[in-house]
Amino acid sequence: MFEELLEDVAQKNGLREVNTYIKLAAGLSAIVLCLLSTGYASPLFIALVLSATVLLLARVELRTYAELFLVPLWFALMSAIVIVLISGGEHVFWSWDPLPFLSLSVSRESINTGFFILCRVIGSMSALLFIALTTPMTDLFVVMRNARVPDFVIDLAMIIYRTIFFLLDQVQQIYRAQVMRLGYSGWRESIHTFAMMCGAAFITSWDAGDDLVRAMDARCYDGKFALLGENRPVELRPLAALVTFIIVASVAVVASQGMTLL
Amino acid sequence: MHIMEGFLPWQWCIVWWLIALPCLAFGVWQLKKVMEKDREALPLLGVTGGFIFILSSLKLPSVTGSCSHPTGTGLSAICFGPWITSVVCAIVLLFQSLFLAHGGLSVLGANIVSMGIVGPLVGYAIYRLLKDTSVNIFLTVFLATALADMFTYFTTSLELALAYPAEVGGFGTSFVMFMAIFAVTQVPLAIVEGIVLALVFKYIVALKPDILIRMKVFSEAQINKARGEA
Repeated sequence: MFEELLEDVAQKNGLREVNTYIKLAAGLSAIVLCLLSTGYASPLFIALVLSATVLLLARVELRTYAELFLVPLWFALMSAIVIVLISGGEHVFWSWDPLPFLSLSVSRESINTGFFILCRVIGSMSALLFIALTTPMTDLFVVMRNARVPDFVIDLAMIIYRTIFFLLDQVQQIYRAQVMRLGYSGWRESIHTFAMMCGAAFITSWDAGDDLVRAMDARCYDGKFALLGENRPVELRPLAALVTFIIVASVAVVASQGMTLL
Repeated sequence: MHIMEGFLPWQWCIVWWLIALPCLAFGVWQLKKVMEKDREALPLLGVTGGFIFILSSLKLPSVTGSCSHPTGTGLSAICFGPWITSVVCAIVLLFQSLFLAHGGLSVLGANIVSMGIVGPLVGYAIYRLLKDTSVNIFLTVFLATALADMFTYFTTSLELALAYPAEVGGFGTSFVMFMAIFAVTQVPLAIVEGIVLALVFKYIVALKPDILIRMKVFSEAQINKARGEA
């Protein structure tokens, strides 16, 4: 029912011990470069480099990675097709006007636009997955605190973070029990059973949250979680890799300016 | 589904961030007041956040190939108002992009606007409209949550159409196109979400009515009446 949480992968990936800021810088700069590029080649290049890093250095399984990539890609492909159909152009290959206000066409320019957007999604998705798979959320809380995000917002984020795992656990147990009792045998039952599960999970997690806050209050909790910021030193090799990546990718962005498929 | 990373051109990413940030700042300010006044609200905020996370991760593939999912923001909007909901949503969307690669960082602003601001605002408006009328409170919750979901997708289509207007007919045509793709799955899904959240609300009313009364979500008389019905 639920896909594997990236968090599980991130907690034991091969780049776990690399300084968080280096990993963040690599991912974020890749996203920015993808958004700034105007040709299709540079996002693909960025995707290639980052995917190789995730698969070879972080040692994430190929299967997990492919599954994660396919869902958004499918959605991107559909949206890209819509863009191809509506954006028009000069060299029209095919066109159809089903309604007076609607005109669909496929042209050289629109295929170029659609393909470029698809590549940009591939590039920045790989950057996002790179951050997601190599950096656990617990490390990002430390980054958030250093970035002066207000304490109570981090506090809330951590409570939500904990509740997600609690809820997932609850939901899985209840769901299994409900399936065994034929709770999802029909359309009407399904809605009712699903609502019952949501209600029960909601209230148990709420109680658990109450207990947590009460237990912490009893231990002098003042609305501020103690965060153990592990300071991983900035090492030379990852830093050098980061700088090389940014330079080469920027060159790729400039070199592939305006490059089109057709 | 949330707009994914890299789909919007950078100009639009910045525009949506600029719209989202003041709303978030206002939400953070309100959140601070609530946290100072009533610490008991913290667990409930955490659970609504977790709930939004799980509901909006249930991606259902649809015939058109796109994905739809419930949003679950309506309930939070009713309990805490739209601005705090936008902060909760921002946290949830950040988690989703980093846990499930669902959504993205550059498009986070756009996703916050659709799921965290417009949706909850609509839900909250409906709740306020119907709150003191004789309309059954479960019907109120149903309408608020279902329409919050619908308007989230409405806004997502708007964001996509603004970034990619059609050549013929411009913005309007592409808006209709994107809406049509979403509507196939989203209309039934919004109705199901409304029913589910109304039933969840029924459990809360039956088991933990005190916090609803204390937070003035509904008056004591209304809750008692609903408990009589439940």
